[in-house]
Amino acid sequence: MSVRKIEADVIVVGGGSAGTFAAIKAKETNPECRVVVLDKGPIETSGAIGRGMDALNVVSVPGYGTPEDVVEALTKVTEGVLDQECAYVLGRDSLPIIKDLERYTDRKPGDLFPLDENGNYKCSFLHPTNKALYLAMDGEDIKRGLAREVRKLGCTVLDRTPACKLLTDENGKIAGMLAFNIRTGHFYEIKAPAVILTAGCVGKFGMPRDGYLSGIYEFPGNTGDAFTMAYHAGAELVNMECFQTNLLMKDFNGPACGYVVIPRGGYGVNALGQKYWSHGYWSGDMFLAVWREFMEGRGPVYLKLDHLPEPTLKGLEKILWGTERTVRGQFHKQRNEDYHCWDSVEQGMEEITLCSGHSNSGIFVNKDTETTVPGLFAAGDCAAVPQQYLTGAFVFGAIAGRMAAEYASKAGKTGATPDAEKLREDICAPLHRENGLPVELVETKIRTKISQYLTPPKSDPLMHKMMWWTERISREDIPQINVCDYHDLIRVTEIQSITECAEMAARASLFRTESRWGLSHYRLAYPARDPKWDAQYVIVKKNDAGEMVCEKRPCPEYKWKYATRLEYEYPKMDLNIGSGFVHPANDNTDPWMTEKYEREGMDIPKRIFPKKGKKEEA
Amino acid sequence: MERTDCGKYEWVKVDPEKCVGCGYCVEYCPRDVLRMGENNIPYMHYRDDCWYCDVCRFVCKQEAIVLETVPYLIR
Repeated sequence: MSVRKIEADVIVVGGGSAGTFAAIKAKETNPECRVVVLDKGPIETSGAIGRGMDALNVVSVPGYGTPEDVVEALTKVTEGVLDQECAYVLGRDSLPIIKDLERYTDRKPGDLFPLDENGNYKCSFLHPTNKALYLAMDGEDIKRGLAREVRKLGCTVLDRTPACKLLTDENGKIAGMLAFNIRTGHFYEIKAPAVILTAGCVGKFGMPRDGYLSGIYEFPGNTGDAFTMAYHAGAELVNMECFQTNLLMKDFNGPACGYVVIPRGGYGVNALGQKYWSHGYWSGDMFLAVWREFMEGRGPVYLKLDHLPEPTLKGLEKILWGTERTVRGQFHKQRNEDYHCWDSVEQGMEEITLCSGHSNSGIFVNKDTETTVPGLFAAGDCAAVPQQYLTGAFVFGAIAGRMAAEYASKAGKTGATPDAEKLREDICAPLHRENGLPVELVETKIRTKISQYLTPPKSDPLMHKMMWWTERISREDIPQINVCDYHDLIRVTEIQSITECAEMAARASLFRTESRWGLSHYRLAYPARDPKWDAQYVIVKKNDAGEMVCEKRPCPEYKWKYATRLEYEYPKMDLNIGSGFVHPANDNTDPWMTEKYEREGMDIPKRIFPKKGKKEEA
Repeated sequence: MERTDCGKYEWVKVDPEKCVGCGYCVEYCPRDVLRMGENNIPYMHYRDDCWYCDVCRFVCKQEAIVLETVPYLIR
């Protein structure tokens, strides 16, 4: 089966929220631009918002907030480790994308988003600042609207055709992408001077304790592929030491959904029914507070709703059971849980992930979505605009589309790339191995190691051990995976991505010699914030020798002077457990064991086997 | 007594009386979990890739799909 060749101008890797916006805006910028969209699934339903979404968690709209208010909120929740220009653009462009969303989904103001009595979009408080930056959304069907627009504009959409290798020419310039269809096995070599990475976060990273591989918060198709593609193309990554430690609906591992409930009066309580932290925004201090409740024996924690008026409870049921993770209602029913009881929504912190949308990690980008590699752009959960949420996927997806279309129109012809047939053979090797390792076992192994060794509070020796495991699994296990079809073949690429992201996470964590972002980078060897690390990034990249290295780099100078810390402290733990009983010294030499070894050597004693010849006699 | 075949445990249930074999659920499953069976009724071919996202039920015009429960391990 030969590799099919496609010539294009812009390739969008991932047709989720950022990817569909990027494709639309690239076409709107230049209708002649040949845009190819690649996705692991069908773009109508794939990605984080395939089944809808209930809010834009950070916006600035007239009457409620300004772009500067978004900068203030993000400066605080990132504890000063950010590019304020990106935060400003996030706020500035949130109103235009609200209008775009209404247009693409054919919805009126007041229908998709609520309006107040003055005709402004009605925002609520969520962030730990005194600005209302949260806008609810009745977005059950927005992904279908975006997909329809992408197809209407004439983009080439290759559904179920994930990108598996970013192609660069002999000078390291972006030249295209290799992808294959996970049902048919058809390979595509797509040549283009501009690539937009919108393939999501590292959602499959840690392993949830219930043991179900897909039982995770993020969309399970998001496996860090964009992170590693960017890394190998020479791009830089940032904040890989800031882990997302979400507070989820226990076991279900979907959103609890605090951001829907909190602006309407709900809050988190511990097992004693006490409110345990001042706010419910997903910043590291809140996760640290949850961790403390468990450490001090007041877990589990719950999302309390029972005090809310009946119409509010009914409204919450409608939103929570009808959007985003709609099986939530059924899950509650099967456990006899009812929002009228204070302890009906048990919460827990499960698998760790790396994500910019809800946290800080990702590919290093500027406000124009440019990575450090010319022609390579990134947006959405894989691009490090901290805590940009869905709003950021749309805002920066749109910018990436415009930027890439303009870049491609000026770029010359793409250079020579490695032989696609040879690459295809290498990628397909797991299809032809005999007696190899099952792909799900290798995934289980790397992800359980990530949970065991990387979950905060972080321990230096455990993180070193994690690097031992990533090296071993890369060397011994991944080359032995055997699969029998193309659906499972992409999982080999995914496991490589997860493993490499684990190494990046461990290295970056060991490089930042302080604790910051609450639980997200609580490092036991350095259990306090250190001013030396104020406004400093940890960059992860590949050096000229092909090794993974970290470096410290200052954030762009602040344009606005806002608070760079949240109202919390790291605990001063007293773990004195006494000195313990001390034996008198034993004799180090052991005549009994020495005699046994001299008599039997290293042979296994024969007496545990059946007598010789017994089988023949039978 | 036979051992339970864990491979046959499914939570996306298709009502064969209602299903017309249109294949919408197979085409729109974002995780490529479903395949059309020999009897033209979809089944969970890659069961453990299911994110219990509900898209299959959402796109079924015949209301033939019931997400009977969430996966056992998280139920």
